[in-house]
Amino acid sequence: MRALHRSILYPAVATLVALAGGCNRAAGTGTTGRPRVALVMKTLNNPFFIDMQRGAEKAAKDLDVDLVVQAADRETDVERQMQIVENLIQAHVGALALTPSGSREVVPVVGKANAAKIPVVIVDTRLDQKAATDAGVKTASFVGSDNYRGGQIIGEYLVKVANGRAKVAILEGIPGHETGDSRVRGFKDAIKGSPGVTIVASQPANWERDQGFNVFQNILQAHADIDTVFACNDIMALGAIEAISAAGKAGQIRVLGFDAIDDARRAITDGKMTATVAQYPDEMGRAAIEAAVKAMKGEAVPADIGVRIGLITKENAARDSDKK
Amino acid sequence: MRHRLSASGRRLGTLAGLFGLGVLLWALTPHFLTVSNLLNVLEQTSINAVIAAGMTFVIISAGIDLSVGSLVAVAGVVLASTLHAGMPITIALAASLAVGFAFGLLNGLAITWGRLPPFIATLGMMSIARGCALLFTEGRPVSGFDPAFRSIATARLLGIPAPVFVTIAVYLMAHFVLAETRFGRYVYSMGGNEEATRLSGVNVRLHKTLVYGVSGLASAVAAVLLTARLNSAQPIAGIMYELDAIAATVIGGTSLMGGEGGLGGTIIGALIMGVLRNGLNLLGVSSFVQQIVIGLVIVFAVLIDTVLKARKG
Repeated sequence: MRALHRSILYPAVATLVALAGGCNRAAGTGTTGRPRVALVMKTLNNPFFIDMQRGAEKAAKDLDVDLVVQAADRETDVERQMQIVENLIQAHVGALALTPSGSREVVPVVGKANAAKIPVVIVDTRLDQKAATDAGVKTASFVGSDNYRGGQIIGEYLVKVANGRAKVAILEGIPGHETGDSRVRGFKDAIKGSPGVTIVASQPANWERDQGFNVFQNILQAHADIDTVFACNDIMALGAIEAISAAGKAGQIRVLGFDAIDDARRAITDGKMTATVAQYPDEMGRAAIEAAVKAMKGEAVPADIGVRIGLITKENAARDSDKK
Repeated sequence: MRHRLSASGRRLGTLAGLFGLGVLLWALTPHFLTVSNLLNVLEQTSINAVIAAGMTFVIISAGIDLSVGSLVAVAGVVLASTLHAGMPITIALAASLAVGFAFGLLNGLAITWGRLPPFIATLGMMSIARGCALLFTEGRPVSGFDPAFRSIATARLLGIPAPVFVTIAVYLMAHFVLAETRFGRYVYSMGGNEEATRLSGVNVRLHKTLVYGVSGLASAVAAVLLTARLNSAQPIAGIMYELDAIAATVIGGTSLMGGEGGLGGTIIGALIMGVLRNGLNLLGVSSFVQQIVIGLVIVFAVLIDTVLKARKG
């Protein structure tokens, strides 16, 4: 009896899956006979990746290829990202652009793509060089901006505006992430020559806004004299801004971010944030798809494709965002 | 015996669902029904399926275990660190399984001797174990192992990935324990009526503690598979895995009220989730829509049970 009743469920699910598949075809990313490339990102709950997706979609349209965009629910879920890539290999996509959720952890699945002869373009976060070499995996290209240089740019800016005197707290990304580690390294190297600029606290807030808020609130409890916070992405910086205003210290603490997402630009225009580093994720998405399509056709692709990077302050926050 | 009969009826229904889903995906995409994709789905399902096997014991005993995802992380980093210390694979595996089992027993002790509701005890453990994993590794992933260890995930026998064999072995053992041993019968009877079980002379505290040990052990096996698969053990691994394991168990027809259900349903539940995710990827469905579809499947599966129970009421 129950088995019979249970059968109500499955037509419902079937309809849903069919509907989802159907919607998708209508959007033009189904099987239309055109070459199909995939962009697999870390997550879709960060505007940085939404911008990247936008750039990739434009490139796919211009190049007349179908684009599949997929991401895990959570940026930390590298196993899920691995599953997505495996499934896309099964779907025989022509080429793959991937922003690794873990610099080392995705190496095995890049190996699987190699075995299936699907070219892989790595975007934004580099593979761990040693892990990649050890496993003998090959990538067609790396598209991204130099995170180390970005960290340096913001560090140099701090030294300049603070006249060589600052007490800094750093909000790090997920520990072991190449992107965040490079940004912190660049920042630290830039302030090395200024003994007056000291780092009094450095804690991970895992790229997330709520954790940026909580972690910075806690840091403020322990170090009331902090006058600068450098967050390795804007999302955490925006969380820190909330913590600053909750502590009644609005305007007393410099907030430095990274990525130049729209909300951060607005915060800079409003005077709540000091500076950020523009990364142009839409250009990354575009360049990644262009490289992926070239690799798919067997054309030569540069091993390293740099995407411009620049400092955003009150002077250029609005102007730069108009350009998009 | 009634619970066994209704469970098998339900299992047929769930199996029909899995089959229907397969037929649908076969019709929608040419990439679904290929040998390599089906093996791919089985491999991807293995981690959740193994955790869900332990979860099935817990849920049949009318409990819940929210700590499994964190236990995967702890067992994984212990495994990885032991391997990095140059220990042989067997020692590292034993250490990892022992840690999973021990953390599970601690859950059980908090529930039986501490008289904490399972939800609270394992919620606490979820945080404690996560913290231990982070502390132990200073927040960094431990990665890079030799091919002999990685073969647990990468080896193929007759083309079938090794994790699939591990999963089959886990289910055969677990099914034997649940269906053929005294302990297995106590798991059902504790879930059906704990007081009556106690009055009939069963040491409920001991057996209930063991149930959580089994769940911790299953999490450790999953940790071994995950670590070999990613060639890395992350202290942040397994976040929200408990929800996938609970979902597989309840889709498989095990009642959250306890006393009924079984592993046959759970493996089918885990496969339904795996096939669904695989299919939605193959179709290139938006990640946002995927979450909605999977959520609806879970809700509908349990809703139908609830409605049926209310009618029979």
